[in-house]
Amino acid sequence: MASTTVNPSSLLPLELVDKCIGSRIWVIMKNEKEIVGTLMGFDDYVNMVLEDVVEYETTAEGKRVTKLDTILLNGNHITMLVPGGEGPEV
Amino acid sequence: MAQDINPMSKRQNPSEFLKQIVGKPVVVKLNSGVDYRGILSCLDGFMNIALEQTEEYQNGQLKNKYGDAFIRGNNVLYISTQKR
Repeated sequence: MASTTVNPSSLLPLELVDKCIGSRIWVIMKNEKEIVGTLMGFDDYVNMVLEDVVEYETTAEGKRVTKLDTILLNGNHITMLVPGGEGPEV
Repeated sequence: MAQDINPMSKRQNPSEFLKQIVGKPVVVKLNSGVDYRGILSCLDGFMNIALEQTEEYQNGQLKNKYGDAFIRGNNVLYISTQKR
């Protein structure tokens, strides 16, 4: 088996999220819901503080619920994070 | 972390956010999709929430009004401020 060398500057997942602070992030939840907002901060459980949030719900033909201000998103149901993502096609 | 040198630290972690919003009108959305709007009395690290003057919205429709409401944190999808 070829030996695999560890790249010393490899990026940890939470580091990637940390880099995203200040920019837009697209959050995909376990159910048919997605959230796009500006990442203000997060914690070890990946609960996230987002600003200027737009909520997208699939199944209802791309129903959109726009919220302003800041939200604390519970990390429990987050599936995937896309830094700089614009969200689903409306 | 590299954030210490940033003078314009706009970073806001969940615990700081929670301290800031107590007493403010908030929207709490549950996993079930039901919406609660009220004034945040208090909350804890499990996202358990106590609200005052609560209105319950389902599918955008006002369903109920409660003087005081306690929401168990495991049901909470998000907590949002509502300046508007």
